[in-house]
Amino acid sequence: MGGVNGVSSGSRIQAPGPWGWAEPPPAPPLGAGGRRCRRSRSSGDEPLLLLLLPLRGPAPEGSEMLGKGVGSGGGSKAPKPSFVSYVRPEEIHANEKEITEKEVNLHLLPGEQLLCEASTVLKCIQDDSGQHGICGKLVCTDFKIAFLGDESTLDDNEPQFKNKVIGENDITLHCVDQIYGVFDEKKKPLFGQLKKYPEKLIIHCKDLRVFHFCLRYTKEEEVKRIVSGIIHHTQAPKLLKRLFLFSYASAKQNNTGPPHQTVMFDTIKDWHWELERTKGNIKYKAVSANEGYKVCEKLPAYFVVPVSLPEEDISCFQGRGIPIWCWSYHNGCALLKMSAFPKEQDDSILQIQKAFLDGTYKTIHKPPYENLKTEELSNSFISLQEIQTSYSKFKQLFLIDNSSEFWDTDVKWFSLLESSNWLDVIRRCLKKAIEVVECLEVQNTNVLLIEENASDLCCIISSLVQVMMDPYCRTRFGFQSLIQKEWIMGGHCFLDRCNHLRQNDKEEVPVFLLFLDCVWQLVQQHPPAFEFTETYLTVLSDSLYIPIFSTFFFNSPYQKDINVHQRQLSLPLTQTKSSPKRGFFREETDHLIKNLLGKRISKLINSSDELHDSFREFYDSWHSKTVDYHGLLLPHIEGPEIKVWAQRCLRWIPEAQILAGGPVAMMTKVLEMMEEVKNLQKKIDEKPSSQPAPPLEALPLLRRPARLSSLFPFSLLQRHSSKPVLPTNSWKTLGDEEDLAKQEDEFVDLGDV
Amino acid sequence: MWWGGRGRSFNIPPQKEPEMGLSSPKSVQVSGAEQSRNPPCPALRCLPGEKVLASAPGVRRGLEPEIAGTLICTNLRLLFRPQGWQGRQDSILNSDYDFALSNIGRLEAVSGLGKPQILRPGSLLKFVPDEILIHGRDFRLLRVGFGDGGLEPLAFRVAMAIIQARAQNRQVQQYKGMTLSKACCGLGPSEPPVPLLDTPEDWEAERRKQGARGWRVSTVNERFDVSTSLPRYFWVPRRTLDSEVRKAFGHFHQGRGPRLSWHHPGGSDLLRSGGFYEASDPNREDIRAVELLLQAGHSDIVLVDTVDELPSLADIQLAHLRLRALCLPDAAEEKWLSALEGTRWLDHVRSCLRKASDISVLVTSRVRSVVLQEQGDRDLNGLLSSLVQLLSAPGARTLHGLQTIVQREWVAAGHPFLTRLGGSGESEEAPVFLLFLDCLWQLVHQFPAEFEFSEFFLLALHDSVRVPDTPTFLRDTPWERAKHNGQEFNSYTQVYTSGSPQSPVGDLISRPLTVWDWGLRYSHQQIVQFYNPCYEPQHCSDSPPPREQPTPSTPSPPRSILLFSRGTLTPLNQLSPWRDGFSSIMSSSRWLLRHNSSSDSLADQEWGLPPHWGPSPLPPGLLLPGFLGPQIRLWKRCYLRGRPEVQIGMSAPTVSGLLDELAQLQQLLRTWSSGVSPGDQVATRDPETPLSLSR
Repeated sequence: MGGVNGVSSGSRIQAPGPWGWAEPPPAPPLGAGGRRCRRSRSSGDEPLLLLLLPLRGPAPEGSEMLGKGVGSGGGSKAPKPSFVSYVRPEEIHANEKEITEKEVNLHLLPGEQLLCEASTVLKCIQDDSGQHGICGKLVCTDFKIAFLGDESTLDDNEPQFKNKVIGENDITLHCVDQIYGVFDEKKKPLFGQLKKYPEKLIIHCKDLRVFHFCLRYTKEEEVKRIVSGIIHHTQAPKLLKRLFLFSYASAKQNNTGPPHQTVMFDTIKDWHWELERTKGNIKYKAVSANEGYKVCEKLPAYFVVPVSLPEEDISCFQGRGIPIWCWSYHNGCALLKMSAFPKEQDDSILQIQKAFLDGTYKTIHKPPYENLKTEELSNSFISLQEIQTSYSKFKQLFLIDNSSEFWDTDVKWFSLLESSNWLDVIRRCLKKAIEVVECLEVQNTNVLLIEENASDLCCIISSLVQVMMDPYCRTRFGFQSLIQKEWIMGGHCFLDRCNHLRQNDKEEVPVFLLFLDCVWQLVQQHPPAFEFTETYLTVLSDSLYIPIFSTFFFNSPYQKDINVHQRQLSLPLTQTKSSPKRGFFREETDHLIKNLLGKRISKLINSSDELHDSFREFYDSWHSKTVDYHGLLLPHIEGPEIKVWAQRCLRWIPEAQILAGGPVAMMTKVLEMMEEVKNLQKKIDEKPSSQPAPPLEALPLLRRPARLSSLFPFSLLQRHSSKPVLPTNSWKTLGDEEDLAKQEDEFVDLGDV
Repeated sequence: MWWGGRGRSFNIPPQKEPEMGLSSPKSVQVSGAEQSRNPPCPALRCLPGEKVLASAPGVRRGLEPEIAGTLICTNLRLLFRPQGWQGRQDSILNSDYDFALSNIGRLEAVSGLGKPQILRPGSLLKFVPDEILIHGRDFRLLRVGFGDGGLEPLAFRVAMAIIQARAQNRQVQQYKGMTLSKACCGLGPSEPPVPLLDTPEDWEAERRKQGARGWRVSTVNERFDVSTSLPRYFWVPRRTLDSEVRKAFGHFHQGRGPRLSWHHPGGSDLLRSGGFYEASDPNREDIRAVELLLQAGHSDIVLVDTVDELPSLADIQLAHLRLRALCLPDAAEEKWLSALEGTRWLDHVRSCLRKASDISVLVTSRVRSVVLQEQGDRDLNGLLSSLVQLLSAPGARTLHGLQTIVQREWVAAGHPFLTRLGGSGESEEAPVFLLFLDCLWQLVHQFPAEFEFSEFFLLALHDSVRVPDTPTFLRDTPWERAKHNGQEFNSYTQVYTSGSPQSPVGDLISRPLTVWDWGLRYSHQQIVQFYNPCYEPQHCSDSPPPREQPTPSTPSPPRSILLFSRGTLTPLNQLSPWRDGFSSIMSSSRWLLRHNSSSDSLADQEWGLPPHWGPSPLPPGLLLPGFLGPQIRLWKRCYLRGRPEVQIGMSAPTVSGLLDELAQLQQLLRTWSSGVSPGDQVATRDPETPLSLSR
């Protein structure tokens, strides 16, 4: 399987080990062909020019400028396997013959099984010249839905960068959002058993792609098989053990990749390291009370609590009601989180809980601890329901079936966008995070975030606070470590929130996506402060739906440990009846907790008016100063400043493509100059001062790059023709008819059939 | 107190203030003699005819740090001078702090915690202001606070002076253009001067540059007797006689007949023309002349109904007013996006871009004559033809190119700047030019590497439209401008002796200042910012190979006449509306529309989505802008200037930072190779600074 796209022997794909990260796509394409790139690359010791901006100016040594930035603090970590999801440019162009063959042949990942297929399916593409169909085969495996068509007619459409695992026409089963069938020109959502089979299948993906497959020319039994197969495998509830993750893991040998610096927080050493890094080790300690998940299945095996907290308290209420440390600021203030007690009817239990909480507060509400301020996130902040509703409205703006639909909504773009409320949800998250930052930075208080399970909004707010306050979290590895710490170990239920098992649609809430979008706003507003770019975030958001990484496919470290562990021992996976979605998402508000906490809050914090004023003052004064990109970073949250994550949302819409335009043009220039700077620096470093300088050579890498489109690196089609501006009925008299005829031959014109 | 001890450092004669503060209208008309009697104070270099009415020390607020200075009101402008000004600055006008009186959109006086009073011309100030807020119509905001220290009378007086000066400014727009001894020439010595297009030589040179071989410069309007709103010279087809031009132009609205606007190197021509004058009854010969001019030697003619699908002037004005209201600093931002949509300004921007992009495809892909026709030919025609040129011609995307286009398509073509920008007090206000600048900004924003000028240049242009130093934008027609410049236009002889006696050298001395003399208002550092660091001029060279030029042989009747309207092309029966007695049926400027009969699918027609589009490849230099909802952005750096909190940190300094570092390294390498010991340079280069991300 050496040359097979995606699993070429050189690449490293991780078994369902603890962590997998997709690399951001490499540099923009270089000149006309790959051969030139390869030559230029062969001598370079930099592996890839990433689409990353340097966080800092060049380090004194100069050559470190590109990748490492500030984040070298994590360098002491043990080697962990890693995953590279993008091919390098030279690999793509290395063997062009193979590529064309690959397009027609299905290639399967290790452990992947073909389930059903149908031939003579037309994939409909809408571009400038109207609709085309490409004839090919539609297959469904236990990993993906793939369309195998011969698209070589659209020559030079080979995208320069593509995902190693997911091809242009591949949809992983977990990426499918909604399936529609077209019956007699009417579009209906498909689910369950079908009586009638549609003539056209429309698949909406969670990464906002839309596919149209025309089944009119397919044999009837094949249509039945493929449609019911796809519907079953994407929409029917699944068992955890049926995840492709496991079949992939058992088939694929575990390769250890090069070491990387992401801190996994799965050993007590990692927590010690983090405590040391943030200088929180005086007042907080890492505990191993939950080793083997004896205390609680929601909590990670190791975590950090205040030093003065008695260890027996941890096990009192299965880890509820105790403050768990997230992060310490350099002034000593810490961010803490706590899972609230579940709703209780029994008065006596309530009394006990109250007493317990009082005791806890007492321990941390006296020196050496700073004053404590609590933030109740379950009741006084956005509800998960709200997030879900607004995102489902928001994504409809980008899931477009055809151009005219797009144009129809285009006129009311801003009001539609606003009515989705998604940007407002983002704004509120950012605002809440700034409020917390203000407490830590100005008021010198500890902040305790309280949520029922401390695993949804808690994760967003605490991670955002850290991104804003801790420059380490703005490096790539720092950011990955942060996600590992707050989200994976924090017990965010990825399995439920992404609805990977299709067991309960109500649980599906894009909390993690919301977080990424908030970070995107920050990246957008302060690009030089981040080591990574928006492309990294986009790729990260895509990897939520690729079930060969274990990272985003479990509800808690406990669930992952028992499953992965047992698989590795190749024991039959006994489905423990600990339902993964036990009471995680309650819509009813918990009045008792509110009351209980309300008293505390009134003691501990000032009135809300005052809070608002001090927030405003803090926000305004920060923004009136010069930004220190290595220090505290606040986003703008005014109306005009919160924007749509255009790269993620618009990348599949051909109408949105601006050829030779968009931010990538700027980015190319920046990369080009960075390359030049680096070369010059190298020259200066190497040069013995006696020799005269040879004339400056043109740089190989980014000289005269091709004109990239605004959708780079996701653009699928290069548009050579013009925009659809003019109709042709009258136009034909002007144009040369021959050329028109030639073009018609190349595609099956759907208008005529 | 900050002014303690230095109170006299602004050298405005104090005795002047009391009488000037409540001056009568008479004092506004200052003659040159009077001026020499009261030489302008060194702190404030006045424009000719300018007079200081009142001044008061104050503090600029709203931005960190607060700056102490003086608020001065003259009969032309309102300005704030920071302390220690003259040492740093040699330009008379300052782009940051100068407000032309006509630019003041709203004036508010604040006292203590009371409600701010909005000061209108003629209103009486009810209290001594603590602070004055000046909201510019160009979206700038100046907040000047006055300290308490016995200076209240000054603050009161300056506020009253502003009110009065504004009132008078409404009636008096006369002012003498100035000629400074110091020659401020454009952007710098490296840039060629912008052709002002007031001589036939300029037109001829431009024509050659475009390679328009089938065209010539017509002098028929030398004395502005064909039309006062047309330039004295323009381009007409080589084969037509001036008498034919004169005859034909008479049948167009305001005498604005079809003229060449731009010649595409591929062979097609972009023409602009006014609407047909319906009431006229041309004879056969006249109709033929009209058709010849429109056809311009091409066999295919596409007539573009300019106003179709574009906003009306009233729409533009309304949208701009709403936008200004929205961008006020205190405007609510709860429903920001809906409110923004509600202004419809971005919608108008989008429709202009869309139409321009359609037309540039038409112009660049085939050989034909494309005629933009608008009833008045002075507003949207200019906008469209400028945009088309910027989209299709890489050469137009340089600083010089843009200035030439503005000079030709707006200034010389007679865009009524004064009326449209509300300077004449008439009702037909509509900031068409500002709409154009916004469209242009969208292009610059979408194609960061394709334009030589930066956003700052557009901003400078945006702010220049009301500045009272040059007549470029303060006149409605070329005729008025020429009158102002004192040029004689009553000799026929001049036409035929062109080139010999009037040496251009003599003109240069008395050459009136134009808006292109940036040195007047902008410092060198600011002018450097006009250049876009990302500009890649590589695409400029590859112009498409010239295709078949229109054969200027027999003027055969056109093979096809098409009307471009609503994104579709419709065949037309005839070119002019008069033949065969059709003239009575024609309604205003509309053509005989036939596309209702052939309604295939409405959606397709409306959005022009064809089943397939002709295969002609687009020329490499053509830009096709995105005009979808998510792609049209608000020009924040311009419109949200009144909200300083939005402005800060908007520019990522990456590119310029890298450029600096590059220059530094190259310099270092050069020193190195020239044999100088590099030791100290390396030592002084702080590794943090080159990319130091400070603003």
